[in-house]
Amino acid sequence: MKNRLLTALFGVLLLAPPATAQERQVTGKVTDEQGTPLVSVTVRIRGTSTGTLTGSDGTYAIRATVGQVLQFRLIGHTPEERTVGVGNVVDVQLKRAATALDVVVVTTLGQTNVRRMLGTAQQTVQGADLAQTQRENFVNALQGRVAGVEVTSTSGVPGASSSITIRGVSSISSSNQPLMILDGLPLDNKTLNTGVLASDRPGSPNAFSNRGVDFTNRAADINPEDIETLVVLKGPEASALYGIDAANGAIVITTKRGKPGGGFDYSNNFRIEKTGARPTLQRVYGPTTITGATIGSFSYFGAPYAEGTTFYDNIDGFFQTALTQKHNLSFSGGAPDNRVNYRMAAGIDRQEGVIPGAELSRVNLTGRSQAVVNSWLKADLSMIYAYVNNDQPYKGAIGPLLGLLVWPQTDNAKDWLTPAGTRRRLTTLSESAEVDNPYFNVEKNKQNSTNNRYFPNMGLTITPFSWGDVTSNIGADTYTSEHMVLRNPQSAAGFQWSGVIDVADDITRNINAQTLLNLYPRDLGRGFAISGLLGNQISDYKSTNQALSGQDFLDPNFVSVNNTNLRQNRTTINQRRLLSLFGQATIDYNKYLFITVTGRNDWTSTIPTERNSFFYPSISGSFIFSDAFPALSRGMTGKLRAAYAEVGKDARPYAYRPSLEFKTTSGGGYGYGFTGPNLKLKPEFARSYEFGTELSFLNDRLGFDVTTYRKQTTDQIVNDIRGSYATGFILFNLNGAVTRNTGLEVTLEGTPVLAPQFSWDVVANFDRSRGRVLKLPNDLPESYVSDTWLFGNVRNGTAPGLSTRSLTGQFYLRNEAGQILINPTNGLPIRATGAAFIDAGYDRQPNWTMGVTNTFRYRRFSLNFLLDFRKGGDVLNATEQYMTARGLSERTLDRNEPRVIEGVLRDGKENTATPTKNTIVVIPAVQTLYYTDISEELFIEKDINWIRLRDVTFRFPIPGNLLQSREATGFITGTDLFLVTNYSGMDPIVNGNTAAVGGSGAAGIDFGNFPMPRGFSFGINMRF
Amino acid sequence: MRRISPSLQVMMIKQMKTVRVAALAGLLAFSTGCKDFLDVNTNPNAPQDVSANLYLAPMLHWLVSGPQFDGRFVARYTQQWYAVSTSLTTWDRMGYDPSSDNGAQQWRDIYWSFGQNLVDMMTKAEAEERWDLLGVGTLLKAWGWLALTGLHGEIIVKEAINQNTFSFNYDSQEFVYQEVFKLLDSAVVLLQRTDGAVDVGYMARGDKIYNGDRTKWLKFAYGVKAMALNHFSNKSTYKPADVIAAVNLSFASNADDALLTYPNTNNDDINFWGRTRGNMTALQSASNGPYRQTQFAVNLMNGTAFSGVTDPRLSRMLSPSPDGQFRGVDINVVGFGAMTAAQQPNNFHGFVGTGGVGVPGRFLFDDKAKIPAMTYAQLQFIKAEAALRMGDQATALAAYRNGISSHIDWVNARNLDNNQQPTQITAAEKSAFLASTAIVPATLTLSHIMSQKWIAQFGWGHNEMWMDMRRYHYTDMDPVSGTQVFRGFTPPTTLHADNAGKLVFRIRPRFNSEYVWNRPGLDVIGGLATDYHTKPLWITQP
Repeated sequence: MKNRLLTALFGVLLLAPPATAQERQVTGKVTDEQGTPLVSVTVRIRGTSTGTLTGSDGTYAIRATVGQVLQFRLIGHTPEERTVGVGNVVDVQLKRAATALDVVVVTTLGQTNVRRMLGTAQQTVQGADLAQTQRENFVNALQGRVAGVEVTSTSGVPGASSSITIRGVSSISSSNQPLMILDGLPLDNKTLNTGVLASDRPGSPNAFSNRGVDFTNRAADINPEDIETLVVLKGPEASALYGIDAANGAIVITTKRGKPGGGFDYSNNFRIEKTGARPTLQRVYGPTTITGATIGSFSYFGAPYAEGTTFYDNIDGFFQTALTQKHNLSFSGGAPDNRVNYRMAAGIDRQEGVIPGAELSRVNLTGRSQAVVNSWLKADLSMIYAYVNNDQPYKGAIGPLLGLLVWPQTDNAKDWLTPAGTRRRLTTLSESAEVDNPYFNVEKNKQNSTNNRYFPNMGLTITPFSWGDVTSNIGADTYTSEHMVLRNPQSAAGFQWSGVIDVADDITRNINAQTLLNLYPRDLGRGFAISGLLGNQISDYKSTNQALSGQDFLDPNFVSVNNTNLRQNRTTINQRRLLSLFGQATIDYNKYLFITVTGRNDWTSTIPTERNSFFYPSISGSFIFSDAFPALSRGMTGKLRAAYAEVGKDARPYAYRPSLEFKTTSGGGYGYGFTGPNLKLKPEFARSYEFGTELSFLNDRLGFDVTTYRKQTTDQIVNDIRGSYATGFILFNLNGAVTRNTGLEVTLEGTPVLAPQFSWDVVANFDRSRGRVLKLPNDLPESYVSDTWLFGNVRNGTAPGLSTRSLTGQFYLRNEAGQILINPTNGLPIRATGAAFIDAGYDRQPNWTMGVTNTFRYRRFSLNFLLDFRKGGDVLNATEQYMTARGLSERTLDRNEPRVIEGVLRDGKENTATPTKNTIVVIPAVQTLYYTDISEELFIEKDINWIRLRDVTFRFPIPGNLLQSREATGFITGTDLFLVTNYSGMDPIVNGNTAAVGGSGAAGIDFGNFPMPRGFSFGINMRF
Repeated sequence: MRRISPSLQVMMIKQMKTVRVAALAGLLAFSTGCKDFLDVNTNPNAPQDVSANLYLAPMLHWLVSGPQFDGRFVARYTQQWYAVSTSLTTWDRMGYDPSSDNGAQQWRDIYWSFGQNLVDMMTKAEAEERWDLLGVGTLLKAWGWLALTGLHGEIIVKEAINQNTFSFNYDSQEFVYQEVFKLLDSAVVLLQRTDGAVDVGYMARGDKIYNGDRTKWLKFAYGVKAMALNHFSNKSTYKPADVIAAVNLSFASNADDALLTYPNTNNDDINFWGRTRGNMTALQSASNGPYRQTQFAVNLMNGTAFSGVTDPRLSRMLSPSPDGQFRGVDINVVGFGAMTAAQQPNNFHGFVGTGGVGVPGRFLFDDKAKIPAMTYAQLQFIKAEAALRMGDQATALAAYRNGISSHIDWVNARNLDNNQQPTQITAAEKSAFLASTAIVPATLTLSHIMSQKWIAQFGWGHNEMWMDMRRYHYTDMDPVSGTQVFRGFTPPTTLHADNAGKLVFRIRPRFNSEYVWNRPGLDVIGGLATDYHTKPLWITQP
C-alpha cells in the first residue's frame, strides 16, 4: 500500500515538460533603498514558469521577450514589477517595509504571499531576533513577541520543557499546543510523558505522573541560529490548510539557506547565570520536637531558638554561578547566479544550571542545499542532526528545593554524608518521609536524557506548465531518546523500594510526504484574477518506548538495571496515520479585494472507520479599503479582514477501544485497564471566526493590527474523564465538551524616530484571551487532569461556566452570602469535604498580557529589549503553603497572637438573616491545625501581575580588520534580568507538571520549582 | 546556463510516460488502499480480548484480597484491631472518612476488577460451552453482589456494567438477595455439568484456588448459598433447614477450603497482611495509624469471655507484648493509653514498632500466608446457628464442635504456610480445650456459636463477621443464657460526630465513584445524608 502511494506521489511530480519561447537576455541589479545589493530575490516572468534568483552582488540574468512582466519578490520587502522594454538592463529597488501591506510573507504550506492578500491573523518573527536572546530553547524566546502566544516554561533548569499555547486553552484534557512545521513538514514537539516509564505502569506504587521529573520539549532540539523566520498562524482560520493537528494554530519555521557571496559565519556566546530569587525563612522558632540533634520532623513550631544559636545559610551556598558557552560556525554560499546554494552549519552548546549537576549539551549539524537543475526542475535537500544530553534535578515534592527550605538552619546542610558514606539524616521520620538533604538529592538522584535526532527533508519542484508548479516533499523526523531516572536507594523517593531506576528508550519516527500543485495567478479580466493550490499529505507517526524499571539495588552505588533484584518492563507503542487532501482558491479583484476559500479532508486512524473521514472548509477575505477608495489613502493604508474556519481534531491512538492489562496479582492473568470503550467516538470540531484590521499611517511609520476572534469547540473529546464505576470502568474518553475561546489581539508597530543614522522602532503585542467551558460530557460535574492534583487538595478542575484554566479544590465552605463557615467547636474554617472539588472563582488566565520590544539603532550599534507585562491571573504558591504548614514561613511569626477568623459559625443559622458571627479566639501556636489544616485557597494568589525584562541586547560593531573578518559585531545580552511582581513566591511563571500534561496543565501551580535564573551573556558574530 | 541534451530530453519524456501510467495506477490504488493504511488503531501494547480462562486469576485474587483491603476498616467496626494514633480515628468510633475511598475496595473490585472482565469471560465460556468456567463466573457474580450489598446495602445491580450511561439507579437489598439466589441456583446447575467443553486443565490455567476442579466450586456455591440464606435470621422467611441442607452439600473438611496462595514476587501478589506490604504497621495517614489487637479480641481467647479457659489459638493468632503477655488495646483511649513499652502489644507480625521486614510473621500476618474466601469451619458455625435456631441441639453441637476443631487445625496449617513464628497447637492442647465445658457445653447457646465463629473468622472473614454482628445489632442478648451474643463486645463510648449517637450499619458507596459522579442516584436512597452509614440494612431488620 505504502509503495503504491509513493508511486502515485512521485508520478504526479513528473508531468509534461515546459515549452520555451523566443527570448533575449535581460540583466539587472536589485538593491534596497540604501543601494545595498539584495541577494536571493526571486525574479520571475509573470504568467510563466521562468524564474531566477539574484546573486551575491544583487544581479540577475533572465531570458525574456519584450512586453513580458518581470516580478521581483523577497520576503520582508514590497514586491515590484517591471515590463521588459527595449533595454536589456532592468534595475530595481525593493522597499523594506515591515508594516506595509505589500510585504511578502510566508503563509501556510510554504507559500509566500503579499500581506494584503491575507484574510487571517499571522505574525512573523525573525530568526535573528530569537537567536539574539541566546536562549537554548527558541520557544522561550517567543513570549511577548507575538500577540496571543503564551509560553510557560516548566522551570528554570536547563532542558526544562516549555509549553506554548496560542489564543488560550480550549481543550480540557488534550494538548493545546500548536503544530510546528519545519521547512514544510511537521516537527515533533513532544515532551515525554512519564506514562511510558515502567515505573508508571498501571497500579504501580511509585509512578511519577509527570510530577517529579521533566523532559525537554523536543522542538528545543532545533538550533535557534538555524532559523531564518518563524511565522505564527494564530487561529484555525490561518492554519486550516494544515489540518487537524493545527487546530490550535501553527508555527511555521523556515531555516536559513545559503546565498551567493556567503562564506564562513562564526558566532559565540558566553553566559553567566545566577539565581535571581531566594525564599526567606523565619529564624525565630525552632523545631517542634527535638531530642539532642534529632528532631521529630521538619516542623518549626517549637520554642524560640536560644540566644546566640549558630545559623547556617544553607540556601546561599547551594546555587552556583552557571557558565554557558555556545559556538556556531556555518559555511554557506551559492553559485553566482544562485542556481545552486548551500549552507552547512555546526553548533555546539554547553549550558550549566544554577543548580549543581544540571546541565545541557547540544550539538547541531545542519545542511541545506538547493539546486535549480533546469528551467523546470528544482531540487532541495535539507538535513538536521541534533544531539542533546541533559541532566536535570528533580522537581516538586521530591525535588531539592523543598529540602533546601526545610533543612534546619541550625545544621550545616553541606555536610550531607555520614562518616560511613550514607545519607546523613536528622529526623526520627522514616527514610521515606524525611525530605532529602538538597545536596544529597542533587548528587545522588539522577535524571538524564540523551537524544539523537535526524530530520532529513527532500523536495522537488517541477514547473511543467506555465500556469503552475508541483512541489513534493518527503521527510522523516526521527529520534531516539534514552532516558534514565534514578531514585537512589537511600533517598526519600527511593528508600521504600531500596532504590528505583527507570530506563526508557523512546524511538520516534515520523514520516511525512506532501505534494502541492500550485496554480499561478490567472487573469480573468475585468480586474479579477484567480490562483490556488491542490495538495495531499500522507503522515505516519510512530513511537516505540522500551522501558525497564529495576528496584532493590544490590550495590547501592552502581547505576544500572542489571544491579537490581526486582525488574519490570514495559513496551508502549503509539502509532497514528493520517491522509489528507486539500485545496485553496483565491480570487483577487483589482488587488484590493481578496477572497480565499480552502477545504481539507482528513482521514485518521484514531477514529472508528465509519467516522474517520472529515471535511472542513474555511473562507477568508481581505479588503484594502485604502486602495478601493483612493481618497482615503493619502495619509494611510488600511485593510479589513474577516475569516471563518472549521477544523476537526481526532483522538489519541487506541482511545476508543479498551485493552487488557497484564495483571501482577496472584496468578497473573488479564483484566481491563481503567479506561472504558467508546465505539461512538467521533472527531471534535472547532468553529472559529475572526475579524481584523490592519492600519498604517505616516508612510508605514505607525501600524496597527487588531484582531478579535471567537472559537467554539463542540463534541470535544475529553480524555480520562471519570464516571460511576457501575459502568464497569473508571475512566472514559468521551465526546461532548463544549468550550468557547474569545479574545482580542493588538499589535502596534511604530518607528518614532527615523533619521539617516538613528532609528527607534517599537513593537507592542497585546493579548486578551478567555476560555470558558460551556458543557462537559454527560453533564458530569467536573473534569480535571489527574496529574495536576500534585499538591494538597487542589487541581486544574473545571466545570460548565468556569474558565478552561480554573482551579478546583477542597476550599472553604461559605454561606449563601459568601461568608466563610466556621467550625463552632474550634473556631477554624470548615473545608469542603464529601463532594467533588469545588470552585471558588480561581482562574489562572491573565486579564491581558503585553510584550513591548524597543529597538534603537545608531549606525551599526543597536539596543533591543523586550518587556513583558501581565495583568491578572491566579497563581497557587504551594511552596509557601508547604513552608507555612511547617512553621517556616515568615507569615507564621505572629503565631502567638490571638485572632478571630472572620466568618460565621456553622450552627444552623448560617443561612438566615442573622448568622452568628464568629468570635472564637484562636492562637495558632496552640491550635496547630490553624496552619497544618489550612486550605490551599489561602495560598492562591489572586491577580498576579508582572513586568519582566525578558531580554536586552546591545550590539556594537567591531572593526573588520581587528578580527581579520569581513564583518564583525559584538553583543551583550541579558536574560530575565528583572521581575517586578505582586507575587510573593520566587517566580509566578512555573508549571507543577511538565509540558506533557494536557488541558490547562499545572501552569500556575508553583510547588518546589526553580525560577528562571538571571543571565548575562556576551559574544561576537563574525563573517569571513 | 546548462542545457539538457536533446537525447536526454527524449529519454526523460519516455520515462515520464511510464511514470504517468504508474501514477494513474497509483491513484486508483489510493482509494482502496486508504482503509488498510489507516488500519493501525489496534492497540499493539495489550490484547483487546484473550482466552476466557485468562480473565479468571485476577478476579479470584480480588475475591479473596478485596475483603482484606476493606478489612482494614471493617475490622475496626468489629473490633478485631484498632488504629494506634494520636487521636481516636473515625473508623474506631464507627465513623468513616469523608471524601475518601477507604472501605470501598470491593466496590472497585466488583464493578471494575470483575465488571466487564466477568461479562467477557462468561460470554466466551458460554459460546465455547465451558460450563465449568461459566459456572464459576456466575458464582463470582453472585458472590460479588452478596459481598457488596452486605457492605453497602442498596447497590447498583440491574443497570450495572453499562458503558452507555453515566447515571445509575440503586436497587433494593431485597432485590439484590433475590438476584444472588437466582445466580447461585444457576451456578449450581452449570457446575454439575460435564458435557460441552468442560475441562479441568483449561480452567486450571486461571483457577489458582481449586486448580480447575469444578466439584469444589460446586461445594463453594452451596456454601455461599448457605451463608446468604442464613443472613435472613431476623426475617420471618428464615428457613434454617434450607441453610443446613446447603451446608451439607458444601465443604466436607478443611481440604475443601477456598484458599488463595500469595507467591510473594511483587507488590500485588504479596499477602495483603504481610509485613512487606506494610498495611498493618505503617502510619497510613494522620487518622489511620498502625493496627494493634483489641481487648475484645484478646478477651475472647484469654479466658475472660469463656470462664477462665485459655484458648490455645490465643498465642498462635495474636501477638504478645514484649513482656510475653497477650494484651489488647483499649479502643476508647488514645494510643496505647497507660501501657508501658513492655506492655504494648507487638505488631501483628510479632515485632515491636514497624519491625518484621523479610522474616516470618505470625498466622495470616505474613507475606506468604494463604487467605481463604470461605472455610469449612465458618460453614459449620453457620450450620450450628441454623440448627440451634430450629431447636436441633444435637446437630448444632456437632457442627459447633466441628467448627472449633477444624479451625484449630486450620490455624496450625496457616502457621506452616511460610513457617511462621508460632508453634503448632498440639493434639493434647486441642483435646483439652474441646473437653472444657466452658467451650463445648452440654447446652449450646447462640453466644457460644457466634463468639467462636468470630474467632474462626478473625483476620480474614471481615464481610461475614460484620454481617453476624449487625444481625445481632452488635449487642443483642442471647435469649437463652442472657449473656451477650458477642461476649464482652462494647461499642465505642464516643461515636463519630456524624453518627448522631447511632451505631454503624453500612459503609457509604465508593466516594470517587458515587459521591462525585452519581449523586442523583445516591440522593434517591438517602445516601447524601451525613449519617447514611448508620441506616440499618434491610436484611438485619425483621
